Amino acid sequence: MPGDKDYYSLLGVPRSASTEQIRRAYREAALRLHPDRNIQPGETEIFIDVGKAYETLIDDERRAAYDEMLAQKEAELAEKSCYNCQLFHSRSKILKLDEPQVHYVLLKLRTSDHLPELRPSVNLCIVIDRSTSMRGQRMDQVRTAVLTILGDLQENDTASVVAFSDRAEVIVTADQSRDLPTSRARLSLLQADGGTEIGQGLQSGITELERRVGADCVNHLILITDGRTYGDEDLCLELADYAHDHSISINCIGIGSDWNDRLLDDISSRTGGSVVFQNTPAAVTDLLHNIFDSLSRVVASGVHLEGAIGQQLDLRSAFRISPDPMPLGDNLPLLLGNLIRDETIELLLELVIHPLSTDDLLTIAHFNISGDFLSNNVDCTDLPLPVIVEVTTQPETEPPCGDIVNALNKIAMYRLQDKARHEAELGQVKQAARRLENLATHLLSYGEKELAKAALNEAVRLNQSRRISSEGEKTLKYGTRALLLPAKTGDS
Amino acid sequence: MIECPVCKHQEFVGTLYCSECGARLASVSSFPTVSIPADQITEESMATKPTAPEGPELSSGALLGLRIISTGDVLSLIGRDNYTLGRSGKDQAIIPDADLESYDAYEKGVSRLHAEIRLTRTSISIIDLESANGTLVNGKRINPQEPTPIRHGDMIQLGRMRLQLISRLRK
Repeated sequence: MPGDKDYYSLLGVPRSASTEQIRRAYREAALRLHPDRNIQPGETEIFIDVGKAYETLIDDERRAAYDEMLAQKEAELAEKSCYNCQLFHSRSKILKLDEPQVHYVLLKLRTSDHLPELRPSVNLCIVIDRSTSMRGQRMDQVRTAVLTILGDLQENDTASVVAFSDRAEVIVTADQSRDLPTSRARLSLLQADGGTEIGQGLQSGITELERRVGADCVNHLILITDGRTYGDEDLCLELADYAHDHSISINCIGIGSDWNDRLLDDISSRTGGSVVFQNTPAAVTDLLHNIFDSLSRVVASGVHLEGAIGQQLDLRSAFRISPDPMPLGDNLPLLLGNLIRDETIELLLELVIHPLSTDDLLTIAHFNISGDFLSNNVDCTDLPLPVIVEVTTQPETEPPCGDIVNALNKIAMYRLQDKARHEAELGQVKQAARRLENLATHLLSYGEKELAKAALNEAVRLNQSRRISSEGEKTLKYGTRALLLPAKTGDS
Repeated sequence: MIECPVCKHQEFVGTLYCSECGARLASVSSFPTVSIPADQITEESMATKPTAPEGPELSSGALLGLRIISTGDVLSLIGRDNYTLGRSGKDQAIIPDADLESYDAYEKGVSRLHAEIRLTRTSISIIDLESANGTLVNGKRINPQEPTPIRHGDMIQLGRMRLQLISRLRK
């Protein structure tokens, strides 16, 4: 098999593709990759491989033999893979219907048991907003939190500190980070003053991390801010993409209620990280400590799900349930983030199945899970993940998988606040308020009194002032996401 | 398509929570509604018509109902797997699934969110939501926030209001 790719992905066709589809895909690829026409170096090699793929797949007999070989190879790969993935379906069999239907698939991804226990070195950069609004208690708490982390560093770890307002400054370099007296002195000089330009801070933080980016360490940036960035949103997103390409993940911590949650969500989701909302700065120390602790248990970074969804289906949404609950959009590849020892990445996919013509088996997708394992000793092969279900004509009487129902219950609440916020922004005040009241009822029956109260308050505010408060927006958004966390799942 | 029993929003078959109001759609059949032309109705399909529920009580599609002892009225509980019981007040946003306001609930000491009935495939239970005057099942006071199993015919007392549970689950 040429390279890592199987013949089907080389041609970009699903495994169930017809001869005609294969022929068309080949013609298109051949035109683009032909030695007389191609531009990039290496494309001639791909051209040859594509030719081989076409010759094999176009011949029924050879295709059957290849399919068998491929299935066997994938089974072997799955066996010795460093990943361990379980799949759950909302229904074990798909009903044969001549109308569209929804199907949910839950993935639980862990490291396989035979991996050696190794602690990666942590290459961390903490980027602190030092704008005027951080003055006082906020800056004091952050300073204490950062010092705690510096005290926790182990021999091969580094943690640089960058502070930014309208421009950025490196306060503690990676080399200084284990010299506590120096870094304490440097941090004590940190004064809050000026505006907020997150791009400046990210740029400088990424540069600090790059001094030490290595295959065997976890490269991570923590952004702590309490304000909106002015005019450099695009730069921030470009930097996030750049960070992802260079194996750096980003976590954002928003303090108070005046920061731009959508921007921070976007920044961190592009790198597989997450966003935490802190109403008061008091818990920053614990938070940083937890992030640092997880980083020191990372086994693989930049884990993502790629592959192809079956022809008769569309991916409608993807939601990461664990470790940090967050919607992940509806396009493959899906970036799942760091895979942490003894922890599970859980991902819920919502798929729309178009009217079915097949009778026995439906290929939902051929996924592939890959990521960067941090230890050189580990032979890290990707995990091929075919998702296939039976088709039936009998409606199922079994209740759907409990984990899926539980997760969807909470996602439904998250979506209610999301819709209400959109409606409020569009000026559909009455509808938004009604939705929040509805959300409050759901939250109450779920035992979340505080959140329910917040939702009701915002509904009242909407009717009076036509707006949701920015604090309310964040409380509800991150509050409903947090319902998916394991601690909250236990008492349902 | 299937229809959300609460807000009538249309969803694809297989959807588990209504995207409009967040209600659970599991008790809705996973089969879409099909219209059968009159000439295709055979005797066999006529014979599978469900038998009427016992008594005058439940509206079609309801698994559960509550009979108000003082008036004999029956409130049907449709389409969800948990129902809150209580009374709606003036200017109050939260309306319980089973609203007892019109049965002198206030005078009888029913809290706004008094109790909740939960339905699973095999059992029904009631949970007192820390109501002011408590909940009794067959004359025995139940502990707040603790699910207590109940069955068809059980007497439930919210404050001084008496209700009888009617259920198609007869286990």
